[in-house]
Amino acid sequence: MSEKVLLKGNIAIAKAALNCGCSCYFGYPITPQTEIGEYLSSKMQEKKLAYVCAESEVAAINMALGAATSGAKVMTSSSSCAVSLMQEALSYASSDELPIVLVNVMRAGPGQGYIFPSQGDYNQATIGGGNGDYKIIALSPSSVQECVDMTYKVFYLAQKYRNPVILLVDGLLGQMAEPITIEDNPYPNIDNSSWILNGAKNRASRNIHSLEPNPKKLEEHTLKLHKKYLEIEKNEVDWEEYNCENADYIITAFGSMARIAKGVSDYYKTKGVNFGVFRPKTLYPFPYERLRELSKKTKVFFDVEMNLGQMHKDVCQAISQNSQVFFIGRPAGEWLKQDEIIKAIDKIFEGQYATSI
Amino acid sequence: MQQVYSIPKSIKQNSTFTFCPGCDHGLAIKLVAQVIDELELKENTIAVASSGCSVLLYDFLDVDCIESPHGRACAVATGIKRAHKAQGYNKFVFTYQGDGDFASIGLAESLHSALRGENITAICINNTNYGMTGGQLGPTTAMGQITTTSQSGRNKEYHGFPIKTAEHIALCEGTSFSARVALYDIKNIINAKKQIKKAFEYQKKGLGFSFVEILSTCPTNWKLTPQDSHKKIENELIKVYPLGIFKDIEND
Repeated sequence: MSEKVLLKGNIAIAKAALNCGCSCYFGYPITPQTEIGEYLSSKMQEKKLAYVCAESEVAAINMALGAATSGAKVMTSSSSCAVSLMQEALSYASSDELPIVLVNVMRAGPGQGYIFPSQGDYNQATIGGGNGDYKIIALSPSSVQECVDMTYKVFYLAQKYRNPVILLVDGLLGQMAEPITIEDNPYPNIDNSSWILNGAKNRASRNIHSLEPNPKKLEEHTLKLHKKYLEIEKNEVDWEEYNCENADYIITAFGSMARIAKGVSDYYKTKGVNFGVFRPKTLYPFPYERLRELSKKTKVFFDVEMNLGQMHKDVCQAISQNSQVFFIGRPAGEWLKQDEIIKAIDKIFEGQYATSI
Repeated sequence: MQQVYSIPKSIKQNSTFTFCPGCDHGLAIKLVAQVIDELELKENTIAVASSGCSVLLYDFLDVDCIESPHGRACAVATGIKRAHKAQGYNKFVFTYQGDGDFASIGLAESLHSALRGENITAICINNTNYGMTGGQLGPTTAMGQITTTSQSGRNKEYHGFPIKTAEHIALCEGTSFSARVALYDIKNIINAKKQIKKAFEYQKKGLGFSFVEILSTCPTNWKLTPQDSHKKIENELIKVYPLGIFKDIEND
C-alpha cells in the first residue's frame, strides 16, 4: 500500500473513502467532482455496497441522512451551488447528531458561476446555510496526499462526534494529479451500538428527530449540541505553520492557496525578509488561539484567498489589536499567482495599502 | 374468557393519540401497528416519519423511527434500506407521510423511489389539505374545495388541478403495489388493513416499491364533525379519488 501512485484529488478521495470502510455513497453529478461518483459507482457495485445515482443533491444528502442512522460510514459529494441545496439536511443531521461526510469540491460562484477554481464556499462550510445553532466540522486539504489523509480523518471525526463533516476541497486539488502514497486508515472505529436504528430487538425502540415541541427540551438539546461544539473546538483544531517562528510577516491561507503562499515566503526569504505561512487545516474549528499567540510577535498579516475575504474576518478576529491584516484576494476565474501576490504585498509595503488586487 | 381485542404490541402502551378528534391518523397508525404485529416486523422495522401531522408517528408507534426533513421521507428510507442491505441485513423500512409531504414537496423523491423500485413501503395520508398549518391548499385539494388559501374554492385558473397520487405511482415500473383506501366505515377499514398488509408483504418478498394512499378526514380544517367528515369522503371525495388497487404485480 505504500508505493507512490499518481492520482487526481477526486480519485484519491474516492479510494480513501473505500479504504476506510465507507459502505454508502449517494450522489448527483456536478463538475468538478463527478469523478468521485464515477469511480465509486463501479467499485461499490462490485462490493455490493450502497450506491444510488440520486435524483438530486437534495435526495442524495437525505439518503445519506437515512443511511447514517444505520451506523454505516456514509458519504456524499458535490460542488458549491449544489452544496447549497444540501444545507437543510445538514441542519437536520446536526440536530439529529448523524455522522455524514460531505465532500465539496469547490467551483466558482455565486449562483452557477462556473467550474473555475475558487474558495468561495468558506462561509458556506464554516457558518453554514441551514437554520439554527449548529456547526459542521470542516477540513481543508492543500495537496492530493492530504485529500487521502483528511478523507480518513473526516470519517473518523463524523463518527467520533456524531456530526456532519465537510471536506472542503479546492476545485484545483480535485482535478490535479500528484504522486501520493495511500497508507491504511490510521483511525479506530467508533462504537455506535447505543444509538443506531437497526430494529428494536431486545431493547426499547429509539427515535431520532429534530422536532421538539417542548421549549425546555428544545433548549436543553441545543445547549447539549453547543457543549459538543465546544468540545470539538477544544480537541480538534489543526493547522500548519511554515517559517512562522520569528516571522516579521505572516500570510494566512487555506487549501491550495497556502501552497502558493509558501512560494511567496521562499521568495521573500531570498530578499532577507522573514515571511511565515499559517494554514488552518480545520476551518471549523478555526485556530484562533494559535493565531492570536503568533500575533503577539508578528504585527502584520496578509490574508490570501481565492475569494473576496471570507476567512479574513476569522483572521481579524483572531489576531491581537496591535496587529493588522491586509487582504489579498481574487474571487474566481483567473488564478491568483505567486507573482501577483508578491506584487500586491510590495504595493502594500510601498504604503499604498491596497486591500485587493 | 377469551380476549378478542387489545392495543397492538407495536403501539407504545402508555401513549394517547394527540390528533384532533375525528382525525383518521390515529386509526391509520393503529392499522399499521396491527399489520406490523401480524407480520412480526416490530423488531426489524425502521419507520420514517415526515413533516406535518404525520411526524407524530414516533410518539405512538413502538418501533425504531427517524423523522425526515419535509418531503424527503422516501430518500431517507432509501438510504436506510440500502445501508442495511450493504451490511447484509434486510430491514423492514416504511415511510408515513401526508399528501403534501409525499406528493408536493417530496414528489421527486417519492416518484424516483418508485421508479427505482426501491424496496420500501410508503403510506400516504391524503386529507386534501395542509393540516398542521391550519388547512391550506395542497396538491390533493379537490376542485372547488375551500381552504384558507383558496377561500372561494380551488379553481383551475389560480390553482390548477389536484394530483391522483396512487394512479401516478402505479405508472412507475418499479412499483409492485399501489392502492387507495378509505376509513369511513367498517368494511373500508378492514379493506384498508388488508391493502396495508399486502403492501408490507410485497416489501418482505422484495418485489419493489409498495404504496397505500389513505383518504383521511381532517375535521378541524374541514370544519365538519367527525361523522360529517367521513360522509364527505364517502359522498364526495371518492368520486375525485376512486378507491381501488391500481397496480398489483402479483395479480395484474
